[in-house]
Amino acid sequence: MNAAPGSIRWLLGHELRLAWYGATRAGSGGKKRFGTSGIVILTLGWLLLHGLAFIMLRAVGGAHLRDPLMSILAGGVLLVCATFMLSGGLKACVTALFERGDLDLLLSSPLPSRSIFAVRLMGVVVTTALSFVYLFSPFANVAVFFGQPGWLAIYPAVIALAALGACGAMLLTLALVRVLGARRTRVVGQVVAAIAGALLFLTMQAYNFVSHGSGRAATEQTMHKLAQYGVFAPTSALWLPGRAALGEALPLLGLAALALAACVLTVGLTHRFFVHGLQQAAGMGRAAPRPAGSLRFRFRSSLFDTVVVKEWRLIARDPHLISQVLLQMIYLVPLLFLILRDSSAAGPAVGVALTLLCSSLTGGLAWIVISAEDAPDLLCGAPVAMRTIRLAKLAAATMPPLMLIALPLLWLVVRAPLIGILAAFTVTGAVLGAGLIVLWVGRPAPRSNFKTRGKENGLCTALEMVNTIGWGGSAWCLMALTGQGSNWLPLAAAATLALALGNLLLAWLLRRSPG
Amino acid sequence: MTSDTPALELRGLRKDFGRPAVDHLNLTVRRGELYALLGPNGAGKTTTLRMVTGLLAPDAGHIDVLGVDMARDPAGAKRRMAYLPDDPMLYGKLKPTEYLEFVAGLWGLRAEEAEARGRHLLDWLDLSRHAHELTEGFSRGMKQKLALAGALIHEPELLILDEPLTGLDAAAARQVKDLLLSHVAKGGTVILTTHILEVAERLAQRIGIIRQGRLIAEGTLAELRERTLGGSLEDVFLQLTEQA
Repeated sequence: MNAAPGSIRWLLGHELRLAWYGATRAGSGGKKRFGTSGIVILTLGWLLLHGLAFIMLRAVGGAHLRDPLMSILAGGVLLVCATFMLSGGLKACVTALFERGDLDLLLSSPLPSRSIFAVRLMGVVVTTALSFVYLFSPFANVAVFFGQPGWLAIYPAVIALAALGACGAMLLTLALVRVLGARRTRVVGQVVAAIAGALLFLTMQAYNFVSHGSGRAATEQTMHKLAQYGVFAPTSALWLPGRAALGEALPLLGLAALALAACVLTVGLTHRFFVHGLQQAAGMGRAAPRPAGSLRFRFRSSLFDTVVVKEWRLIARDPHLISQVLLQMIYLVPLLFLILRDSSAAGPAVGVALTLLCSSLTGGLAWIVISAEDAPDLLCGAPVAMRTIRLAKLAAATMPPLMLIALPLLWLVVRAPLIGILAAFTVTGAVLGAGLIVLWVGRPAPRSNFKTRGKENGLCTALEMVNTIGWGGSAWCLMALTGQGSNWLPLAAAATLALALGNLLLAWLLRRSPG
Repeated sequence: MTSDTPALELRGLRKDFGRPAVDHLNLTVRRGELYALLGPNGAGKTTTLRMVTGLLAPDAGHIDVLGVDMARDPAGAKRRMAYLPDDPMLYGKLKPTEYLEFVAGLWGLRAEEAEARGRHLLDWLDLSRHAHELTEGFSRGMKQKLALAGALIHEPELLILDEPLTGLDAAAARQVKDLLLSHVAKGGTVILTTHILEVAERLAQRIGIIRQGRLIAEGTLAELRERTLGGSLEDVFLQLTEQA
């Protein structure tokens, strides 16, 4: 039955349709949507996940599925997922508040603002929960086959957790609006969302550092160690979500009630502030005017410096890029531990990781600086050599990754000189290669397409990927050569270097006319 | 270069995009005049201006800017002119002062002269109070005024504007019109396109009308009236474009 126009159900349908369009958008400017083929792929993936769940649960064994330690494992997984849910919720709230641009229409309609806020929050809950239900539902379904119908509680537990995450994200967004104002909230929200998402990586790395071994025995040993601490004991409230997900009635009811209460309270207490947040967003970017006379110019003497400074300002003020750079820095943290702990033994792995990270970071920066130029006509209309501008842009894109990596590299050079020098060589090669590829074969695109840039220029993406593989491979082979004398290593090193340089030559041959 | 050298001379200019957008266009704009280039949508006005400013390479023909051959010395020609398109060429994440620093750098201005001009332009265009804000939060009129400040910072002799009054409020439009008249009064040259024919009627000393990439009429408003049944520029324009 169709919902009556203007009702909450009708509005929720509209919200979910928008969320679906947003989730299935791909390609140039987000205009293309994946159709039947995309749905078939998703369904096949879901069926494959059932196969994976079957293999994993059979490996654990039917008896172990009832082990209390299983609720610790499930609780740990759900807690990590909660950070992702908060991250996804923050992104969705920033979009709802600042980017979608349909709330003026909704709030100018006769619908109560409370209903609009409630529906928007429900939309955030659904979009946040969907991917996790997709990921975990195969475990719930397969567990029934192993005689664990209680695991079907994964469905309500994940949805309840997503609701808590979405409410937390909405409250955090509104609080940030109150403290920082709408403009800064947008940036901070995106950065916090990115960092929250990277917590899983750090958690896994922390686990690697505390555990000395691998496999099930090491996992059980670590869990038993954790169980000795009160807060991590199997009876701890920390694992309640895990127990709820595995079908314990009271924790499940408690989690559901908590989620419902969070939604009701968030809507009831903050919908007025939600409207206020929107009003702030409408005036975003209009800081209070300052008195004239405090103008401060800093003109540069050379065109090269002028262009580099302008590009760095734009990079520093781009929230997507800031998030990406921060993410890369988070990924560097465990590498730094490795370098500090045992630089010579971990050399090849560290060299490869630094090379891969720098290559991908440079690719992103070069895209923003070179392909996403906001005012190409201004540059073309200026009485300057385009060559100088392009060189300055290349420098602006390649210098930040090199500066970012300079200290760890220096440390590596001090601790293990040969490995450090080789790492510096491959990192520099990867960074220059990535920058030059974008310079030569990159295509102009609006800055807002940053997230979908890979889909829009397949050639550039492929060349960047080969560049990363070539230099990453060279890093591994060259550094491995310093430790052992396998006959095939020099050949492999030569081949990977040839791949990287040949790829660069191909990019040059396929270069586009700068105009 | 003598004072008789035209500010802009186009000879046999041609550009094809599958069909001819500009078709053997001949046009001369004298120094020190305000010239309005009018035409219906798709007539080739913007394509012509983009070729003049070096943003688009012509398929054939010659462009001389203040006596400088655009094909031979594009930097020399660009140095003496400024182009303001209908969509301002700005960076949303830069502040007005930073934008002017960048434009001044592109035109190679010395810091002292650029600073004095930058201050004057921001004050005069009433943007000084907003100098610490990112331009992405500016209204359409403020963006247009900042782009104009960028175009004027190197004191161009030839100012080319494509629909400069689109989206401006009355006060901002008045400010821009006064600026154009003042530029011409000081000996500069202005070429503008506009769909607001009253503006061309009030400001322009000579008017060129193009249709399908060709110049179909040119002269003062009085001369154009003589060629038609008279009336306002709108009447004249409609008669000429429908006749052609």
